[in-house]
Order: sequence, then C-alpha cells, then structure tokens
Amino acid sequence: MSDLFVVGISWRTAPVAVREKLAFREEEVATTLIAVTSQLPIAEAVLISTCNRVELYGVAKPGYDATHLARKFLAEQRGLPPAEVADVLYDHVGGEAVRHVFRVASALDSLVLGEAQILGQLKDAYGLADKAGTSGQVLRRCLERAFGVAKRVRTETLIARGAANVSTVAVDLAARVFGNLKGRSVLVVGAGKMSTLAARHLRAQGADHIVVTNRSPAKAERLAEEIDAIAKPWEELEALLVEADVVISSTGAREPILTRELFKRVMKRRRWKDIVIIDIAVPRDAEPSVNDLDGVFVYNIDDLERVVAANLAERAKAAEHAHKIVEHEAGQFEHWMRSQGVVPTIRALREKFAQIADAETQKTLDALARREHTPAQQREAIAQLVRLVVNKLLHQPTAALREAAPDEAALRAEVLCELFGLEPSADARDSQPTLGQNVAPSETSDSTERKAAP
Amino acid sequence: MNVVATDRLLSVAPSPAFWVAIVAYTIASALLLVVLGGHARFRPWAIAFVAIAFVAHGTDIGWRGTQHVHPAQSVREAIGFLAFILTGGYLLASTRYRLTLGGVVVMPVSLVLLVAARLSPEGEATDLSALGRIHISLATVGVGVFALASALSAIYMVEERALKKKKFDTLAFKDKGAPLAALDKLSHRLIWFGFPIFTVALVLGAVWVSKLGESLDRLEYALAGVTWIAYAILLVARQVYGWRGKRAARLTLVGFAAALAVLAIYLVRRMVA
Repeated sequence: MSDLFVVGISWRTAPVAVREKLAFREEEVATTLIAVTSQLPIAEAVLISTCNRVELYGVAKPGYDATHLARKFLAEQRGLPPAEVADVLYDHVGGEAVRHVFRVASALDSLVLGEAQILGQLKDAYGLADKAGTSGQVLRRCLERAFGVAKRVRTETLIARGAANVSTVAVDLAARVFGNLKGRSVLVVGAGKMSTLAARHLRAQGADHIVVTNRSPAKAERLAEEIDAIAKPWEELEALLVEADVVISSTGAREPILTRELFKRVMKRRRWKDIVIIDIAVPRDAEPSVNDLDGVFVYNIDDLERVVAANLAERAKAAEHAHKIVEHEAGQFEHWMRSQGVVPTIRALREKFAQIADAETQKTLDALARREHTPAQQREAIAQLVRLVVNKLLHQPTAALREAAPDEAALRAEVLCELFGLEPSADARDSQPTLGQNVAPSETSDSTERKAAP
Repeated sequence: MNVVATDRLLSVAPSPAFWVAIVAYTIASALLLVVLGGHARFRPWAIAFVAIAFVAHGTDIGWRGTQHVHPAQSVREAIGFLAFILTGGYLLASTRYRLTLGGVVVMPVSLVLLVAARLSPEGEATDLSALGRIHISLATVGVGVFALASALSAIYMVEERALKKKKFDTLAFKDKGAPLAALDKLSHRLIWFGFPIFTVALVLGAVWVSKLGESLDRLEYALAGVTWIAYAILLVARQVYGWRGKRAARLTLVGFAAALAVLAIYLVRRMVA
C-alpha cells in the first residue's frame, strides 16, 4: 500500500512565481517520465503539469523512500536546488496519496472548486504516461478509479452547479431572460478585455449577431475582427441599442453613457422588448436608475461577482458530500491495494498445494491402473475429489490473509512462506483481475467447487 | 360515521380513481417542493406523479360520466373539470420548460379544486338545458386556460422581481426555471387561445340567462365582464402598443382575479342555497 505516492506543488502551497519554475511543457513530459522510471527506483509514473499544479504520481519499488528521491528529482530537473522548493513541495503516500488523486480528479483540490478542466488535464497526463509506457497496473487502476469518482461527484453533488466566473454569470443572466441565446443580438460597447471574453461566451452559447461600437473606430474595428463581429460608428449607439438583446458595456468613460433618458427613448422604440445590460465598466457606464425601467435588466460588476460568490458558496457546501464520496471510494481502493500485497503469497501457496495434490493423485491413479482397469469417469472423480479437498482446506487461510490489516497480513504471509517453504513471485500483481473482482485465479474454481460440494 | 357523513355530502360517491388522484396530487406537490429545494433528481418522479394525478382525475370524470354526471352539469362539477384542465396544461407545458415553481402553485390548486368539487354539498338543480351545459363547458375551458396563463404570469412576476432586484439567493432565482421570454410568450398564446372560447361562453351565458327570464344585473355577471374586458385590452395592447412582460402579466392576473371571484360567488351562492 505504501508504495503509491504523490509529490507535487499546487496553488495551495506556492504562488505562480514559484509554480512556473517547476512547470513542464507537454513535450517534456514523456522524457521526464522515462527518466523518472529509469533513473529512480520508481516502477510507475504519471506527471501532471497545469497552471495550478505540478504533481508526480508514482509507485516506488519495494524498500525505497521514493518521495524523497522524487522531490530531489523534480527540483533538479528544473535546475533548482532542492532546498529552495523543499517547503512548497508536498508529498502523500499510500491511502493519503489515493485520496489526494481522487480529490484532484473531482476538482475538490482546485482553485475554483468543481471546475471542469482538471479532469481533462488529468486524463491527458495519464494518456501521455500511457504512451511513454510508464503507467503500470497500480497507477492505471488508481487513475481510472479517480475518473469514475470524479464522475460520481459531478452527478451526485451540486459541486459543478452555477457559473463560477464573471463572464459565465453574464451569459447565465442573459439566458434567464431570453432562454436560448441562439439568434439573439449582442452589442459590445467599448473595447475592454472583459467584454471580449463575455462576447465570446455569448457567441459560444449561440448569439450569432455581435456588433461592436467604440468612440475610437480603429479600436472597434480591431475588436470586431478579433471576435468575428461587425463594427459600427459610435454615433449610431441609440439605434444599435434599439436592435440589441444583450449589451456588454465596458468603456472608460467618466460619466454614464447609458442614461435613463436615453433608455426611455430606446425602450419606447423597442416596444419595451426586454434588454439585458452587462455593465462591467468602473466607473459604471449605466445609470443605476436605468434598471427601474420596465424590460431593462442592468447588472454591474458587483452584481456579477455576488453571483459568483454565491455559486462558489453553494459549491463549498456540496463539497462536504463530495469529500464523503471520495473517502468511501478511497477506502474501497485501499482494500484492493491491500489485497494486492498478499496476492503473490496466496498464489504461491495455491500453486504449491496444487502441485502436491496433482503429483499424489497421479501416483495413486497409476498404482490403481496397474492393478485393475479404472474407467475414465472414476479417474476424473478421484482427481476432482482431491482438488475439492485442497480448495476447501485453502479457503480459510486465503480469506484470512486477504482480509487482514496490512501489517498483520504481512506477518501472516511471512509465517505461511516459512511454514510451507513458499517463494512468492512479485510478478503475480500484473496478472490480477480488476478492482472488486480481486480473486486469485484458483479462487474461481474454489467457489465453483464450493457450490458443487455437498 | 365518517362514511355516512361523506356519502350524505355527495350526490354520486367518488370513484377509487378520485382517491388515487388525491394521493397523486399530494405526492406531486410535495415532490415539486423538494425539487424546488434543490433536489433536482426528484423532478422525473414529480412529473410522473403529476401524470398519474392527471390520468386518475380524468378517469374519475369519465366514471362520473357513466353515472350520468356531466362535467359541466353544475359549477361544482365544472370546478373539478377546471382542475383537470389546469393539471393537463401544466403537464404539457412542463414537458418543454422547467416549471417547478409553477407546479408548486398549480398542483395544490388542482388538489383543492378537486376536493372542493367532489366534497362540497350539492345544492342546485341538475336538469340543465343544452345551452346551459355548453355555456358552463366553454366557460370552464376558458377559465382553465386563463388560469394557466395566470400561473405563468405569476411566475413571470416572481422571476422578474428576483432578476430585477438582484435577489440571487431566492428560490425563484436558484430554481433556474423557464426564462422570462418563454413565460411571457406562453402566457400570451394561452390568452389568445382562451379568449374566443370565453367570449362565446359569455354570449351563450347571457342568452341563457335571458331565456330563463332572470336579470343580468348581478355582481358575478359584471365580474365576468371585467375578465373579458381585461383580456380584450391585453390582447389589443400587446398587438398595438407592444405591451409585454410585467405590464401584461399584471393585467393577466387582474382578469383572472375577476374570473376567480365569479367562481367563488357561484360556489358560495349554491352552497348557501
């Protein structure tokens, strides 16, 4: 169990100025992973490097302190003295490492709780390791389970509910008024970065007619080109407002440009058709009283941020349930991991007993055959009887070994090895079946035989 | 004891379907409340119980038909039929839009109307003329459609207020129900549909009353007139002056309030009689 580990750095432990020093480009990942598994006593490795975290997931070879070596390796790979990043790097081993991976996949460790990107990034990281040939049985199982846990968390909790950034909230609010944004027209007033982002979001949601206007025609043209919109002269503002469904305003004007008087005229000309104004300018572009007019919905930057804060608070509440799911799943995974430790011993034990049983059965059958004719049916019945007895005898010790706590299991395995002269082979692990079906190959026949037993 | 009392109150004992409908309405109302509280996974169950209530309610009406009780035989029966139309309309609308808030209002209303219709004392003559039956049928359908339009307008008002006043922590905001534009459009369409039916019902009603030799000078007739005028103004204002949104929703509710007052007067008068 203790051979699975995580070493990394994230937004929780270090600012971007430090994180960027340890970051890996996508094309560097494969070579780094190969270096990890060839130079260090590490059997399996996956490396994830995003803007918020750099983490190495690995499985150490027995008897090595892999976390210590991995910390050193990561620092040296980036040309940093290990001492410089010692305080910001964290590590987890065994069950804690599993919990950490599950939490990361479920976006419970993300800067924006419940965000959707991390799962894709983790899948990409796993894909790269798979291609590089460094993801073995344990990490494969761990990450695939992590993806399953993430899916559970997203469907069973409200962790991903509600927009978590200002631009998405703007789109969300417009959708509350208009529903489907397909065919809606958007007017971008001013050329701020935020309005570009919000306009892009609106386009992604189906708004297909985007017009940009700015006091400087050149800036309007430039922005229009950038977001595939149409630039219109500033003088046409009133007419443009009559046509628009959603207005995103972010000019640098000192005085409000979207005044109540202007909107009284505009709304009359629109026949009071609803209009949503997303005013992300500071100072504000829209007079607060514009919101009092029928059919006008004005949201300023504070409103949008309040929604974001409320949604994040809801997500935080949902995270409590999500943590319980992670805890439960991690427990199940630990159980599987634990059973993996004794698999070689169980296999060796069963093989030894099978060998003895087969040899003795063969001897008996040969002796019988020398004395009288034994029908094939009888020979088969004798062989089956011996197998049945052996399986029955082995069932109890096998179960006791599997279900024991890690330390106890190791002790019992050692005793068994000594008593029966077993030499367990570590290769057994790779041929094990999936989580939840972790039975030794002979157990299938064991259970079948048990059913057949009188 | 109770059985005897109930039987005395009912001219025709309710069918088993009636009790199924009552239970289904209650469960649907409770489930919709749970959904509104943020447990979206119960939505399919809630809608399933609305459907069960609708079918059971329809079965009960059909069963009464076999007992020679016409759904428009009296105001009492008509109220039961009105609840049936309400539920059907809600069921239809909720296949397209998320109308949890609407359901939380409509389902208990249907339940109360059905119970009132079946368990209120019978106090009127049942031998209606064909004209009377057609009048009551059309008026019921018309008011049922207006009730649905009004429910949508009421939701519009609540949602609009939440969006306008930026009450981001209210249920109306969190529920993420149907968008304002859809509510407004649907309410408008329903009034377009209900208005001609209600107009014919009103004319037939006037003819019927005249034939019976009664006076038209009664409060309920004046209130029915108010409903008609409110919706006539609404349709014209929408078409000519581009009225929509909150103003239209307000007038829709005024018209429906008058229609409700008519029903209440009828019911109280019959009960007293």
